[in-house]
Amino acid sequence: MRKMMNAEIMEHDIKLRQMGADVYVINSKMCFVVFLVENTEIAYVYNINKKGRYFLERIKPYPLALREFDREEDVINIIEIDLEQFKNATHSHNIDSFIEINQNFNRSIRKFEDLFLYFNVPKETADAIKSRLTEIDEIIDAAKETSDRIYFKKNPDNL
Amino acid sequence: MQFQLILAIGVFIVTYLLIMSEKMNRTAVAMVGAFLMVVLNIEGQERALHYVDFNTIGLLVGMMIIVNIMKKSGIFQYVAIKAAKIAKGDPWKIILYFCTITAFSSALLDNVTTVLLIVPVTLVITDTLDLNPIPFLVPEILIANIGGTATLIGDPPNIMIGSATGLGFLDFVVALGPVVVVIFFITMVIFKYGYKMHYVATDENKMKILRLDEKKAIKDPILMKKSIGVLLMTVLGFVLHQSMGYESATIALFAASVLLLISKCDVEDIFIEIEWATIFFFLALFILVGALEEVGVMEYLASKLLTVTGGNMTMTMIVILWVSAIASSVLDNIPFVATMIPLIKNYGVMSGLDVTPLWWALALGACLGGNGTLVGASANVIVSGLLARHGQKLSFGYYFKIGFPLMIVSIAISTVYLVVFII
Repeated sequence: MRKMMNAEIMEHDIKLRQMGADVYVINSKMCFVVFLVENTEIAYVYNINKKGRYFLERIKPYPLALREFDREEDVINIIEIDLEQFKNATHSHNIDSFIEINQNFNRSIRKFEDLFLYFNVPKETADAIKSRLTEIDEIIDAAKETSDRIYFKKNPDNL
Repeated sequence: MQFQLILAIGVFIVTYLLIMSEKMNRTAVAMVGAFLMVVLNIEGQERALHYVDFNTIGLLVGMMIIVNIMKKSGIFQYVAIKAAKIAKGDPWKIILYFCTITAFSSALLDNVTTVLLIVPVTLVITDTLDLNPIPFLVPEILIANIGGTATLIGDPPNIMIGSATGLGFLDFVVALGPVVVVIFFITMVIFKYGYKMHYVATDENKMKILRLDEKKAIKDPILMKKSIGVLLMTVLGFVLHQSMGYESATIALFAASVLLLISKCDVEDIFIEIEWATIFFFLALFILVGALEEVGVMEYLASKLLTVTGGNMTMTMIVILWVSAIASSVLDNIPFVATMIPLIKNYGVMSGLDVTPLWWALALGACLGGNGTLVGASANVIVSGLLARHGQKLSFGYYFKIGFPLMIVSIAISTVYLVVFII
């Protein structure tokens, strides 16, 4: 199996180098971590390499962007907090709509990317999208001010 | 003694059948069989280790280290892309050049390594030419097995034979090289006409090949120079090892150690890539066959062979060639050769004849026989697996229709060669 993997990597390597890339193949281990919280699957994937770099990404219930860490404790800590917050959130009657909104955001991002990469979009359309995003930001900021805080172990990263 | 004899034969046959069935991992099965022989006191631990051919093991490990370092430089991809460009994208010329590279590479490295290096480049080329990769990969499989037959280090059966008999690198090249060259050319001519309609590409796609930049394939130019230097020194070492009084494993392991040191590659990363499962498979087989020797089975079989053939060397040689070829086309040739080696040695002792022609017959039969079916050699299985991952299917039946007749042709040529030139 390892031989087959190496051969496949070599094929990709040739194609990517012909496209102008530098390709670095690093021996590492990939770990899939799955929790089941009240019938909601919460899954993470992280990669550990020999140089002690950790690459963590949440993949379920909705993806969270890849982040790089230096220490194993950071990875476990992030997962621990994330899991606690999800456990809290599952008690909320809004959990289904929270997950649905997040999934819709992610889908919208992908659709917007396609729009940008495949079509010559008029400036007015881009402005309209920007304005709607500002509206959403304002709704989120306003909701923060009017809602009770339920998690105190750490402060929000983006809010 | 009688009970131990039956026990040893029983363990050996069951292990062999399980390896052949491919239902379980061959290394795990062979190890259980081998250490069962030790646990059952058919051979003690000391005796078991005595039967392990550490020259074969050392040669395999040494060459694996050299290849694992070399391939990090991108040299194989560079050579293959350069060849495709020299061929100006013409599919037939590309396959001819790639098969020539495969034959040379397979003569110096083992067949599995060779196909693992040439197949990814071939897939890139066939993707670029928008052609079916199977008419490119089937010739490469056959030529990898043919090229490996020519040298001591080209195929594991040859490594085992060379190690057990003291026959050196040059002995193999001189005895088997000429017939391998003939088989190579005849095979390529057959492919040229057999696959003629598949070797056609549009001018536009040929231009895409010419636009490939072979220099981009070089990952580490300094490592490439060091690797080429060490490989050339290794080949020179193999050529001279007998006259210098060194075992082939000494040459391979010394070269591997030097390359490990000067390449500055991460030693741990290189060692991860060593095929430990293959190494332990060899170890276990040596112990298994050693147990049969210990209880006198090999001596008995050799005496039977002597009785059947009446000491007629030509007949014995032809029988060994064809039986090895047919057996190796469906069985793993490594356990087969591991079993045949003590048998032929005992035959030589009993008959008082020079059995060197029998070693050449065994090498030709075991190496070329692997071309007969899709499961006949590891290289065939690997290529079929790589094609499956690439979304293509190389079926047993399709391969059999091409591989088996070509294997028969190569064995027929070998028969004539052995009878006319070797005996």
